[in-house]
Amino acid sequence: MERAAPSPGLLQPGQREIELDVRTQDVEINMGPQHPSTHGVLRVLIRADGEIVTAAQSHLGYLHRCAEKIGENVDWLQYLPYTDRYDYLAAMNNNLGYSLAVEKLLGIEVPPRGQYLRTLIVELNRIASHLIAFGTYGLDIGAFTPFFYAFRERELLLDIFEKICGARLTYSFIRPGGVFNDAPPGWLQHVEDFCRQFEKKWPEYWDLLVENKIFIERTANVGIIPRDLAIAWGCTGPMLRGSGVDWDLRRDQPYLVYDRLEFKVITGVGYRGTVGDCFDRNYVRMLEMVESLKMVRQCLDQMPEGEVSHPDVGLIIRPAPGEAYVGIENPRGELGHYVVSDGSKIARRVRVRAPSFCNLSLVEHIMPGTMLADAVAIIGATDIVIGETDR
Amino acid sequence: MPALQRDTGWGPMQAYFEAARAAHAALSQAGFPVELHQPNLPVFAAEGEAKELAAAHKEGKHLWRGDAYVQLADRGRIVGLCRFLRDQLAYQQIIDVTAVDHAAEDKELWGMYAFLSLTTKLRLSVKTMIPKDDCRIDSIVPVYPGANWHERETAEFYGITYTGHPDPRHMLLPDDWVGNPLRKDYKFPEEYHGISCV
Amino acid sequence: MGALSQKFEDNVLTTKVDWLLNWARLSSIWPMTFGLACCAIEMMAVGGPRFDIDRFGAGAFRATPRQADLMIVAGTVNFKMGERVKRLYDQMPNPKYVIAMGACATGGGPYYKFGYTVMKGVDRIVPVDVYVAGCPPRPEALLEGLMLLQQKIRRQKVVRVPKVAEIPSTPSIA
Ligand code: SF4
Repeated sequence: MERAAPSPGLLQPGQREIELDVRTQDVEINMGPQHPSTHGVLRVLIRADGEIVTAAQSHLGYLHRCAEKIGENVDWLQYLPYTDRYDYLAAMNNNLGYSLAVEKLLGIEVPPRGQYLRTLIVELNRIASHLIAFGTYGLDIGAFTPFFYAFRERELLLDIFEKICGARLTYSFIRPGGVFNDAPPGWLQHVEDFCRQFEKKWPEYWDLLVENKIFIERTANVGIIPRDLAIAWGCTGPMLRGSGVDWDLRRDQPYLVYDRLEFKVITGVGYRGTVGDCFDRNYVRMLEMVESLKMVRQCLDQMPEGEVSHPDVGLIIRPAPGEAYVGIENPRGELGHYVVSDGSKIARRVRVRAPSFCNLSLVEHIMPGTMLADAVAIIGATDIVIGETDR
Repeated sequence: MPALQRDTGWGPMQAYFEAARAAHAALSQAGFPVELHQPNLPVFAAEGEAKELAAAHKEGKHLWRGDAYVQLADRGRIVGLCRFLRDQLAYQQIIDVTAVDHAAEDKELWGMYAFLSLTTKLRLSVKTMIPKDDCRIDSIVPVYPGANWHERETAEFYGITYTGHPDPRHMLLPDDWVGNPLRKDYKFPEEYHGISCV
Repeated sequence: MGALSQKFEDNVLTTKVDWLLNWARLSSIWPMTFGLACCAIEMMAVGGPRFDIDRFGAGAFRATPRQADLMIVAGTVNFKMGERVKRLYDQMPNPKYVIAMGACATGGGPYYKFGYTVMKGVDRIVPVDVYVAGCPPRPEALLEGLMLLQQKIRRQKVVRVPKVAEIPSTPSIA
């Protein structure tokens, strides 16, 4: 018997065509705060009709650690370790954002070698952070192996960081006025060795995950964020670029020595699906690792000799009264620091504009209409760090 | 530390300054009650003042430094201003909505908005005063949906009511939390649900 | 151990039985997948290839508290999360153990003074067996904490009656 195709006009708004032999009912599902696949302690409340998500709501604050209040109570320099701890996957980047803001108030510029060292180490940290994003995203989707691959390479990077500043995760290496110390002997060679090694490994990742049929099936055409939506909701970083917007602070509002480096801004192209789907966001991160590697190489080549820190910045910093906003390109998007000084050694206000916070705010709006299993794929592709959304 | 007051590093501020000046001109032409605030630095000063300012900076006198911004005198017009910025001046993205409490004795809070334009590559910050005894301002979510969570967060941290906000729940703090932590007169709690805080 | 637990005197047989049971317990501690903050990344690194917690029989990270023996509180606990931590702990079956990993879980860490929402130590809500110091602790430190916990388990009396003075048995670095 021939069935006429249901015309969309017959359905009332909010009503979907359902198969008649499957009865579904609205259920509310609580994902998190302890959930194997949410990144940290995110809680998402999902209302689902059968398998289809009809509404989602994020609940934050399970890791609220009062970073902004602390900023108003401790010295300018004492606050630096706290910057490590909001985006703990990219602590160098956070140090940099805060240091640049303070330096803008101080009105100083870091010597060239310091700038190159900063750029180099920030890009290395970006690779480390994207590696985690890639590994845990595989874990979310159901692939266990990428996680081990990613951690293997990440350990090599952590060795490099440990060699220069002594810490594996919370560095406080980049500080107002420059960097903590110059590279120890042999360190630059170590970085070069890593570059050579990573270059060989990267295609493995690509084949392992990105070209994987199952992975493509689970991420392509899932959680599509149209360009306009991404802009209106203040998305930044890979989330914005994944939607095809060509915007990168490193190129468009260059800081450090990025204007002297050559690199491409990766945008989502709909490699396997539609522009702006989960696959594209992951695709941007994967290719950004290669670009970062290129930048690291160029920094190594151009590395000048000389001082690494500004000689006048001591332990007590007293910036002139004023306020400054500095936004830098974190692995997750624009990390902004808005600092207000009253001329004393303690800040009046340290505001952190956290990229994950803004990126996450959109997620609950793209979830309705997707399948329940895709919810995890969407959250995973956002690559949030809860330490940063909650601060 | 007068040695720090040297004439470098103004470069990044220059972009802010240009943006703020252009936006100020456009906004005041459209009838918004706005003022331009700019840092008193020699590079930004009129010709006659530059020398004095440079001398003051050399002596280490504390002068206002940092980014230029546009101040809106009437906080009731913030939504209109945002719409103007988005539609006429191409500031497509809201970067940040926050507030600043300068001192416990102050009568006013600063409401702070930061915008970014992806086409002209400019940044602009807009300020407006919010009196503490009538702590409310219109929500800009209808214009910039991205301000949603920022406003919720600022609301609970500073006790500002964003009128017309579509979802005025607590953001980061528990629902039964007392006080607005980022106010300067905030007292740290002694205990929460029977668990001591010290 | 139900009906048999803590009923018997010390003798050769019960000592051997206890030894066997403890050996079984300590060589297959299943931790719960429970990352809170920065320390969780180091916990993941411990699960990764270089440090490989599987060598100590504790690599089977379970996603549900019902299947887990060990809760590694890796990160800052604030009041909002504290209630959930307590609930997760209550859901775990006995015998259950807790490792407080890092300065935050031990005593508030860097957030001790100005962190108005931070709980100053997870031991205010759940009993902690081993504290691991560091911010974040190095993976080796977490592994040492795990070995300390294994030592502690080794001394437990499962079918024997514990002497009053022996509860709780504190592990020492031997
Ligand atoms: S102890 Fe340090 S590294 Fe661990 S959660 Fe606390 S702040 Fe983060």
